[in-house]
Amino acid sequence: MSRTSKPLITIENISKSYGGVQALSKVCLNILPGEVHGLCGENGAGKSTLIKCLAGVVSPETGTITVDGKPLSHGDIHATEAAGIAVIHQESTAFLDLDLVENLFVGREIKKYGWLNRRAMERQALAVMHRLDVTLDLHTPLREFSIAQRQMVEMARACLRDCRLLIMDEPTASLSARETKTLLGLVKQLRESGVSVLYVSHRLEEIAELCDRVTVFRDGRLVATTPIDQLDRNQLIGQMVGREINALTRREEHAGQTDEVRASITGLYSRGSFSDISFEVRAGEILGIGGLVGAGRSEVARAIFGADRYDQGEIKIDGASLKKGSIQAAIEAGIAMVPEDRQHQGLILPMSVSENLSLTILTEITRHRLIHHGHETAQVQHLMRRLAVKAANAKMEAASLSGGNQQKVVLGKWLAIKPKFLILDEPTRGVDVAAKAEIHRLIRELTEAGMATLIMTSDLPELLTLSDRIQVMCEGRIAGQLDGATATEEQVMRLAFPRSEAQLT
Amino acid sequence: MKYRREASLIVLVGALSFLATLFDASFVPANAIDILINSIPTMIISCGVMLVIITGEIDISVGSLLGLLAATLALLSSTAEPGLGIHPYLAIAIVLTVGTLIGLGTGCLVVYGRVPSIIATLGLLIALDGAQDWLMGGGDIKHFPQELRYLGTGTTIPINLILTILVVAGTGLLCHKTALGRRIYAVGSNPSAARLAGISVTTTKLFVFALTGMLTAIAAILWVAKLGNVSTSTGAGLELKVVTCVVVGGVSIRGGRGRILGVVLAVILITMIRTVLNFMDLGSEAVKWQRAIEGVMILVAVTSDHFTQRNQPGGKS
Repeated sequence: MSRTSKPLITIENISKSYGGVQALSKVCLNILPGEVHGLCGENGAGKSTLIKCLAGVVSPETGTITVDGKPLSHGDIHATEAAGIAVIHQESTAFLDLDLVENLFVGREIKKYGWLNRRAMERQALAVMHRLDVTLDLHTPLREFSIAQRQMVEMARACLRDCRLLIMDEPTASLSARETKTLLGLVKQLRESGVSVLYVSHRLEEIAELCDRVTVFRDGRLVATTPIDQLDRNQLIGQMVGREINALTRREEHAGQTDEVRASITGLYSRGSFSDISFEVRAGEILGIGGLVGAGRSEVARAIFGADRYDQGEIKIDGASLKKGSIQAAIEAGIAMVPEDRQHQGLILPMSVSENLSLTILTEITRHRLIHHGHETAQVQHLMRRLAVKAANAKMEAASLSGGNQQKVVLGKWLAIKPKFLILDEPTRGVDVAAKAEIHRLIRELTEAGMATLIMTSDLPELLTLSDRIQVMCEGRIAGQLDGATATEEQVMRLAFPRSEAQLT
Repeated sequence: MKYRREASLIVLVGALSFLATLFDASFVPANAIDILINSIPTMIISCGVMLVIITGEIDISVGSLLGLLAATLALLSSTAEPGLGIHPYLAIAIVLTVGTLIGLGTGCLVVYGRVPSIIATLGLLIALDGAQDWLMGGGDIKHFPQELRYLGTGTTIPINLILTILVVAGTGLLCHKTALGRRIYAVGSNPSAARLAGISVTTTKLFVFALTGMLTAIAAILWVAKLGNVSTSTGAGLELKVVTCVVVGGVSIRGGRGRILGVVLAVILITMIRTVLNFMDLGSEAVKWQRAIEGVMILVAVTSDHFTQRNQPGGKS
């Protein structure tokens, strides 16, 4: 770095943990004035936590953040704002029914004799847009703007507030190629005017084009901060994954795998979510689908299970075509799905463990129109033993269990119907190591007994150790297939990150 | 404590009985059956509305629906002008069918039309009220056949009370002992998780609305049988009383929680308040007090609901 100016922001020894999981440990980082600083890492590497600490949403347990040499009090949004730090989130926080000017000045309107001074606000709005070199109509409600235009408004708002560090969290995730180009131009414009930008993105091309330096996170630790011209794409990916495969061993042979095709998905397409999804899962086989969050994996899982509709394509179970968009039909055909978000989609938290477990087998445990208590208890006890659910008793509320045990209950609910084809969407997210190992053991056991398993996971070691075959999704498409026995984390990541536009089309 | 709401309702019923006994030692034994009989329409309809609220919806059209069904029954079976004088059993069957169908229609409006239930049933409340006025054409309808009156005034066995007990017991079994009951709670607690567990949220909601319509029809029949008179104001304001009872009985307005016992106790308590106030001979003042007390009870019930549920994650968004 030739630049010798004093850093704008200095982060020293920041640590933060959530319920025993170390999200950030002893992170030191500085951001120079007028620098675009890239932030990279896998999902869950600690990027979001760092952003939250900087934005004052979360207070770190140790460490200091100083702005221009002055310490920033932790977890204080107002102090952060006063220090000139602004965040543009992935989802826009704009007021859709207010127009551009109203959005720019919301909360800090310019007043004259206690009345709104619309003219002064419009003048300032025009000035800031001129500075950013964009033209947008001042009187149009934001609802009529595109997502990219809304993001421009947010950037303009940050500029109006004399922002000195702008944090952008995957700003281009939902933008088209042209919109992305405009946005990148804007970021450069901002840099010219002396604003520092902390830029989080999964798109390595953008990082390369835009950033002066890039910092890589892995498992809550800072791996390295490197000037961008000393790093190529593969080195960057290497920094992100470079970790040892954990203790769980891979499947040595494809135990129990047969040639019998259990599920076949052909040409599945859903507008705006995914396209061209085709694969087969055989009985006794685990097919892993890797990719970044937002690559469209959950959407595919939900479409197969009938939870969402899709526009084109066919799903066959044991050769028979499956009715579109009907969960009941999917269950009838022997499909089960453990959804991504266990608190909101997997469990009914105020209900007891027992009630949650028996939810899928209510008709089986009903005798003479009433739920047979004995049958229910027997089934529930069997499932709890099999999954080693740790709960004081089956009458406990599901909400009071730990994450790992909650996940076991979700899994148990589906094992109760003895599925032929099990879809698991992030089955061990936020689950402790012991429960994770048990869930893995169970998935293998069931698959070896003849079940077909489709597992979507962002957890690379999990993907590599469990899968017989791996397909990687990227931006709604299958980017490539790997053999589970030989695939490496690097190979998966290389497929998972979007290529530049030219290669995409 | 799981049964906290039921316990506090029992304490309130006890305290009220004690107060009444201070005024008149024979009040409770003399009025117990009366209180129960007076509570019949509210009790029966509350069973249905409770289920609707547990699924996370609401039905505030039941008062008007009762009025309309009572008017229909009166017109069909009354032996005097403008009644048609058809056989009372046939009239009863028609009213039960119409009630169920209107309930089902309400459900369709909410489920398929995606109209928020509070708005859909508010519209129905007004529309059904208008239909009742139009049917009645102004005057009261009296003179009903004996077979019908017997249901409400049977001298030796109180048939209406027995029917009510059956409805309450049936609702209790449905809620706590059947697959459908489980599904009703699941749908109200977390609709997206219920859906992903293969439960049809649509069918479940249609069922509770249709059942409420049918229970309202039963209540309308017993109402006509007991009073032998239907006017344009029959059923007016009943929906508020029913919702009050359900909420005071501990059913969460956000859905997913509530037990039949609490609702039964709340119906008894609220009917008792009215009887005691009447008994204290406050004249027209009593009505005002009644409404003030009921209002405060709703507020207390809903606020305590808020405080007990506030710290729980997940559930409905």
